Order: sequence, then C-alpha cells, then structure tokens
Amino acid sequence: MTAAVSSASATSTWWDRSRRWLSEVFDEPASVRGTAVLRIVLGPCVIWHLRPFLADALDGITYHDRFQQPWWPWYPNAPEGLYVALLWIGVAAAVLMTVGWWSRIATGSAFAVVAYNLFLSQTHFHHNRAFLVILLAGVALCDNGRALSLDALRRPPPDDRALVWPIWLLRFEAAAVYFASGFSKLIDPDWVGGRVLHDRSVRYQSEVRDALGDTLADPVLEVVTARAFHWVLSPAAVATELFIAFGLWFRRTRLVAVWVAVAFHVGIEVTSHVQVFSVIGIGALALWAVPSTRDRTLVTPSRWVGWLDWMARFDITVAPGASWCMVDRDGTVLEGQQARQFVRTRLPATFLISRFWRYP
Amino acid sequence: MVVAQLALVANGYRDPHNYFAFQPFNESSTYAVELVRVLDDGQRVPVPNGRWEGYDWNELIDWGPLRSPWRQRHAFSGVDAVVDFLDHALDWMADNTPGDTETRYWEATVTYYRNARGPHVTVVRSHDRELGGP
Repeated sequence: MTAAVSSASATSTWWDRSRRWLSEVFDEPASVRGTAVLRIVLGPCVIWHLRPFLADALDGITYHDRFQQPWWPWYPNAPEGLYVALLWIGVAAAVLMTVGWWSRIATGSAFAVVAYNLFLSQTHFHHNRAFLVILLAGVALCDNGRALSLDALRRPPPDDRALVWPIWLLRFEAAAVYFASGFSKLIDPDWVGGRVLHDRSVRYQSEVRDALGDTLADPVLEVVTARAFHWVLSPAAVATELFIAFGLWFRRTRLVAVWVAVAFHVGIEVTSHVQVFSVIGIGALALWAVPSTRDRTLVTPSRWVGWLDWMARFDITVAPGASWCMVDRDGTVLEGQQARQFVRTRLPATFLISRFWRYP
Repeated sequence: MVVAQLALVANGYRDPHNYFAFQPFNESSTYAVELVRVLDDGQRVPVPNGRWEGYDWNELIDWGPLRSPWRQRHAFSGVDAVVDFLDHALDWMADNTPGDTETRYWEATVTYYRNARGPHVTVVRSHDRELGGP
C-alpha cells in the first residue's frame, strides 16, 4: 500500500513537473532579450555570409554561370537579375535586423534570402550556413523586437516578454549541433583515436610555418605533429563538444559550458576557416540565459554595470558612495567584494575573465 | 522540428554529404583525379590541367572543393561527398560544353586516401552526350 502511494506520488510529481515545463515553454511569456542579442549578432553574419555571392554578382557571375547541383528539380530558379536583387534585399534585411527596425519582418526576410540561396544548389551547403538558416528561422519566430531595438524605442512595449517556445527550439538545435558533431567523432575510431587530426596537422604544417616563422614554428610543430599529442587532443575535442551539448542544459554546469564553448569556438576560428560558424556559435550562447530580467536587485556606486548589463540581469540602483549590495533571485544577499564578483560572472563582457579577476 | 532534426542527424550516417547532420571535419582524406574525354570512336584523350577545346575545368566548375582535382586535394566533407559531387560535375560539364563536338562522355579515375589509408581507386563517368553536329 505504501509502495503504491509512493509510486503514485512520484508519477504525480513527474507529471506535474512536465506540465509546468510545458506551460513554461508554450504558455507563459518570458524575456526575449536573448533572441534580441542573437538578432544583433546575426545581422552582420548574414552580410558576411552573402559577401562572396555579392562579390561574384558585381563581377557578373552568379550560380547560373558555374557548376551547380540542384536539391530538388521543382525548386524555382531566379533569373540572374532577380537573384542579385534578392541578395541585396538580404543585405538590407540584415542591416534592419541589427538595428532592430521592423525586427521580425527583417529577420524573416533575411532568413528567406539565406535559405533560398542555400537551397539553390547543394554546392552552397556548409554546416555553418545550415546553422545560420536555423538560427534565423528561430529568431524570426520569436517577437525579438521587444528589446534592444529601434522598434522598442519607437513604440516601447510594456515589457520585453513574449512566448519563448522558439528559444527552446533554438536551444535544442544549438545543443544538437554540438552533440551531432561530438557523437559522430566519438564513434569514429579514426577520429577519436587521433588519426584524422594528426594527418591534418602533418599535411598543413607548412601553413603553420608560414604563419609563425621557422623559429616559433619548430617547437610548435614538434608538438602538434607528434602522434601521441593527438591521442590526447582528439578525445579531448570530442569530450568538449559533448560536454557543451549536455552542460548547457543544467543550471549548475551552464556557466562553465558557456565558458568552454567560447574557448572552443575561438580555438576553431584560430585553426580553421569556418566562415560565420564561430561568431554565430558564440552569439547563440545568449539563448541560454534564463529568460527573466531585472530579477536581481543591485545597489552599486558604479555606472559601468548598467552599460554592460546587456541581458538585463539586474535591477540596478546607482548610488555614489554606497557599497555594493546584490539580492539574488532566491533572496540571498551578497555584499562588497562578493557582490562585485557575482555581478561580473553574469555580465556578457566580463564573465569570461571573472574567474581570474579578483580584488585582493 | 525536433523529430526532423533528429532524423537528419541519423540520416548523416547514410548520406555522404551529411546535410544538416553537423559532422564537420569528419575526415582527413585526400584525392586526385585523372580526367579523360572518351570520344565517339572510343579513343581516350587525357585533359592536361583541365584544358581542352577552349574550355577550362576550373572556369567551368568554379567551385573550391573540385578546383584543380588533378592535383592531390583535401576531400572536403569526405571522399564519398567529393566523388558524388564529381559524378554530378561530369554530367553538368557534359551538358554545358556545346562547343565540344568530339567528346562522347567524361571519365574520372579518382585515387584517394581515406584518413591516410590507401590508395583506393574508383571511377565515375558522365552520361553520354549527343554528338549530332550542326
């Protein structure tokens, strides 16, 4: 009898939790500031992505003039003039996205242009472009102009809250990218055993030499072309991707996962050419901020917190001469150095170095 | 959307291009191609540096992963993806070189090293062209 009651209670708790979560995802408005930050990041990335297509168009070359491999026979091919016009519409939409003017329409238009271009030919496909299309779609689905936009300045909304199911969808997509990449390498003995990275390192060592010069390149190459080095590096790379994929979901590991993800993307950008992937990957990390704003109170003598609090983590009162005091969501009060340190861990511009930046 | 993404990730283990399956840097393979034109009488004519009859492979194809394939190249997205694209590129070239009135079809012998193991050899060819003449 006791066991039956206990089981029923556990089921009920699980059911209640699921219902609460579903309600949080689909019914309850929450802050869309994370998608607003991502919108601002994606705008320049769209322009950067379209740049080679535009450069070719200025030289009179479009996809019509080179090898192309259509995805589907029914997919409409734009005549050359219309195609070039669409590229420029994409650029205009990207500019409007960044400044947040007609934010949602602009994001939707940028998505339409980038997606149309991607699906014109399989030769246009790159993983970073696929990720860009997915992010644009998700941001366009969200009412992203309610914060950090000219729209919000022109017609201030009552708050920055809207339905956030697109944020959950984008979180899933972002985690799926890390998981799919990490898992595919985990089950590939050549990858996880270091063979793939070792071979690349050996093959491209001349580029390292060109970039660093002989004096610096010699010791670097001695390490990175050693087979043993890749027995460690490759499993570490796989573990990193899988840690990011799972670590972002849990509150306890999220901040570390974000930190690791930034370092991971910077590392990839330094060693490989991945077009817009690094920037959009880092930008997408804004989606993992808890979608509530101004729910911690902060008294501070400094104005810089207000300038750097892009995610609106704090309800700030600037009081010259006052000491730092912060009340967290759960009522915990931090004062002085502790409050200052906590604030730094929650500001996008300082959280990366906050662990190493402590007052004596 | 979630189901579709999971399906695409799973499909990446079957699809040589792993579209939307997010498997970047999946291989460190290399390949090189010996390109020949096969004429109507069966004669096999090599295409040195991709140039023939006033055409230029690099100008026609104009796509990084298949640029100068007669040299040893990194296989972008893996050998299987490159061979599949090469197969389609030969068809595309057969359809887009009207000034070439001799070539019946194109053939590419691909020698590749998959993650430094090899060499392996595979052959792809274009479809037959109509050589009716004016």
